[in-house]
Amino acid sequence: MDSKFDSPQDVTSSVGVMPAGQNRWKQVYGQVVNVFYISVWKKAWPLWIGAVALAFANILMFVYARAIGVFPQMAMWGSYIYNLFGIKVDAPFIAYPLTPLHLDMHSLLNFGIIFGVAIAALISQEFKIRTEDWRGYTAALAGGILMGFGTVIMPPCNVGGFYSATMALSLSGPLSVLGLLPGAYVGGLFLKHQAKKSADTVDFGAAPAGKPAEEAKTSFQPLIGAAIGMLLVAIALIYVSQGMSKFAGLLLFGALFGVIFQRSRLCFASAFREIFVSRNGEVMKWILLSIAIGTIGFTILKSQGYQQTAVVLPVGLHTVIGGFIFGIGMSIAGGCGVGILWRSAEGYVRAWIALIAGILTAGSWVLVYGKHVGEGWLYGKPVFLPNVFGWFGAVSLVFLFLAVFYALITWVEVGKNEKN
Amino acid sequence: MRKIKASKIGNNHYQVDMRGWVCPYPKYAVESLVKKLGDGYRMDLLVDCPSATDDVPKVARAMGCEVPEVTQIGNGEWRVVIEK
Repeated sequence: MDSKFDSPQDVTSSVGVMPAGQNRWKQVYGQVVNVFYISVWKKAWPLWIGAVALAFANILMFVYARAIGVFPQMAMWGSYIYNLFGIKVDAPFIAYPLTPLHLDMHSLLNFGIIFGVAIAALISQEFKIRTEDWRGYTAALAGGILMGFGTVIMPPCNVGGFYSATMALSLSGPLSVLGLLPGAYVGGLFLKHQAKKSADTVDFGAAPAGKPAEEAKTSFQPLIGAAIGMLLVAIALIYVSQGMSKFAGLLLFGALFGVIFQRSRLCFASAFREIFVSRNGEVMKWILLSIAIGTIGFTILKSQGYQQTAVVLPVGLHTVIGGFIFGIGMSIAGGCGVGILWRSAEGYVRAWIALIAGILTAGSWVLVYGKHVGEGWLYGKPVFLPNVFGWFGAVSLVFLFLAVFYALITWVEVGKNEKN
Repeated sequence: MRKIKASKIGNNHYQVDMRGWVCPYPKYAVESLVKKLGDGYRMDLLVDCPSATDDVPKVARAMGCEVPEVTQIGNGEWRVVIEK
């Protein structure tokens, strides 16, 4: 099942006009490969497909168990590691207590994302161990630490605290933008400054003679990806056989999210970062559409009394400050909570370092602060918008927020065109 | 400061190796690189982050360049050809 590094193309076009019947199977093969391999695994999905798929996957997973969000369980991993080394510290999020990772349902979601991304990256021949020098690793360390603090102060992460929280009608969701947006901008400026400084040293006139990069002929990655896919199914079946089908379900939902993120490249860190750094809000605009779809789904469910307090988070000045810290961190680490899980599975060493730094920082929060997330002087109370404005008012408010944010992005983009 | 490796691989033809630079570095660097490139010159930019295969051509085209080719040359590696 090795495959060539051909550019994405229409396989059927190479089949051409053939005698009826004789080459029917070849044409069928060509069309099946075109639809199920080239379109899905070789071409990047359009952003809108990723955004819509993400919204429906999130609604479905909420119906099944919970909404997407990855950092609280990763913070628990950090606390768990401290305890393994004899340092007694409780996990920072009360709803995510210290649990062996394979027995923690929420962690299975994260493992699923890692599996899904790895499968997608391998089948599409995009996996590579990507090393950098010490500067990149230092940035990853700093980014991870900032995200670790940001997630417990905000709380929690970009995807859970902004994306899911907004559609769950939590006031904290829209408010988190006031921190995440400027934070991502500051982090993005740092990256742009580094890139520009390095690019400025390039002198084409003095460039030494070299050889064009060699092209690899074949790759066995699709085979490895398929094998990991089978391993994923086997692990899910083991959980089912132990009467833990919810664990298996979240593992598979995680894998679905992983495939969506990897193939559509719907990156939340770049969505926030690029609005002001490149004056390009394309990714965020699709994310806003995704939130709009999700808001309808979550409202239908919550208005029937289903998990009304789910993803309704404490809100206050800490939402903005935590978001700002998290925003800087996710920019320089190269991904938000989901982003570093995703890049870890694609082979980015920078993401591995950011992940370890992030979980160990967040996992130490109860030692640092003395209380859990949501307790004590730092945190405000959770505000569920329908409790204040009624269901119609709450949904109207969320859609007003989405419209204002969309208009702001468009205003920034139009400003760039005027400048040019 | 980290160096970006550039080499001359033909007449009016350079190769810039940004493999090992995570996104969004290639996207941010390409603006400066294109400005340095002479008119009529061609630059093969080697990248190993998937998003760059979309981001880099957009920036280059916005600067008036042609991007005739984006080719996968290995596992997780691409060549983006930019003509000014």
